[in-house]
Amino acid sequence: MIINSSDQVSRFNWLKRFPVPRNFNVSVESRIEKGRTWPAPADAKRVKAFEIYRYDPDSGDNPRLDTFHVDLDDCGPMVLDALIWIKNKVDSTLTFRRSCREGVCGSCAMNMDGANWLACTRFISDMGAKATVYPLANMRIIKDLVPDQTHLFAQYTAIEPWLHSKTPEPEKERLQSTEERRQLDGYYECIMCFCCTSGCPSHWWNGDRFLGPAVLLQAWRWLTDSRDEAKEERLDHLEDPFRLYRCHTILNCTRTCPKGLNPGKAIAEIKKMIIERES
Amino acid sequence: MDKNSSAPNSTARRSRPLSPNIQIYRPQLTSVLSIANRMTGIALSFGAVGLVVWLGATAAGPRPYAVVQTAIGSPLGQIVLFGCTFAFFLHLCGGVRHLFWDTVHGFTLRSIYISGWTVVMASVMLTLSAWAISLFVGGQ
Repeated sequence: MIINSSDQVSRFNWLKRFPVPRNFNVSVESRIEKGRTWPAPADAKRVKAFEIYRYDPDSGDNPRLDTFHVDLDDCGPMVLDALIWIKNKVDSTLTFRRSCREGVCGSCAMNMDGANWLACTRFISDMGAKATVYPLANMRIIKDLVPDQTHLFAQYTAIEPWLHSKTPEPEKERLQSTEERRQLDGYYECIMCFCCTSGCPSHWWNGDRFLGPAVLLQAWRWLTDSRDEAKEERLDHLEDPFRLYRCHTILNCTRTCPKGLNPGKAIAEIKKMIIERES
Repeated sequence: MDKNSSAPNSTARRSRPLSPNIQIYRPQLTSVLSIANRMTGIALSFGAVGLVVWLGATAAGPRPYAVVQTAIGSPLGQIVLFGCTFAFFLHLCGGVRHLFWDTVHGFTLRSIYISGWTVVMASVMLTLSAWAISLFVGGQ
């Protein structure tokens, strides 16, 4: 099956997850236990089951999988609507981040039916018979669907994502031609939801040192900015077996970006730029 | 203090759980072909040892050569050889795909999927062609 854009939901259902044991490479405190099943509302006609990852830091218990039944006739069309419905009608302790509900803030990034996306732009009708909702993959979990992004933003800080200039400050703004401005298209739109970094197997295994697709896309956004004057220093910092070169062009990042951006291409551009400056 | 539970107001003493990654993430053509490229690479390095054994037997004389030929000719030997042929072509085609990527070509999602399925189909066709040639043209 050919995927034309990242918002296309895979219809390939014979292999929903890799054939590895559920507890493969999973530390004791991260093991997921069976949770409780909440009953379906009595008068509901169209009911859909949602299996949701829960973790309560105050209980001292391990994470668990709870099953909820959502009345689709009483609920909006998106997965985020279902989560809000559950929080309002069934279990008010269900915890998740959300803000804009229209795919521009990146708060509600999570793993739905095995792929990372924004809950506010994923249709419930595109979910499997039993919808599964996990937090972003490979993150330390604060509570339920809320991941700790401290490390990711520290990695973002490491690339110094601001304008570096050496020439004296101009009287007015720094000008760009239309063509120079166009170089930023496809890169400046990133909303930092970290769907890509969380979906990158290289970042799963080497996330402590590999910067990951989201941060490297930002690195390219500054490298390709005509106003930035620190290209050499930026490339020196990136030219490292781990920071950049743990990217093996798997391209899960490009497959999962909810904004349709292309982190894989941005990383290839950085690698090419490093080769070109050496020749 | 554990770096994983460093939230200022956290009362939790245990470290935060890691959300599942490979245990739940949906296999996609992107990741499956990447793993396949790794695994065929590993398989081929064992296959290279086999090739050296075969060449060594050829140099060692008629009797060792006959032993190795019998092993290769056995049903199990033929299956392994077929697997090595497929691994070789999948790794080769995957490598060519990576060469295009290294020049920053073929990065639209559509091209990624078209080149991915092309690699799969090309390596199946090349494997079958190689075996057809060796069986029908070269003889056993």
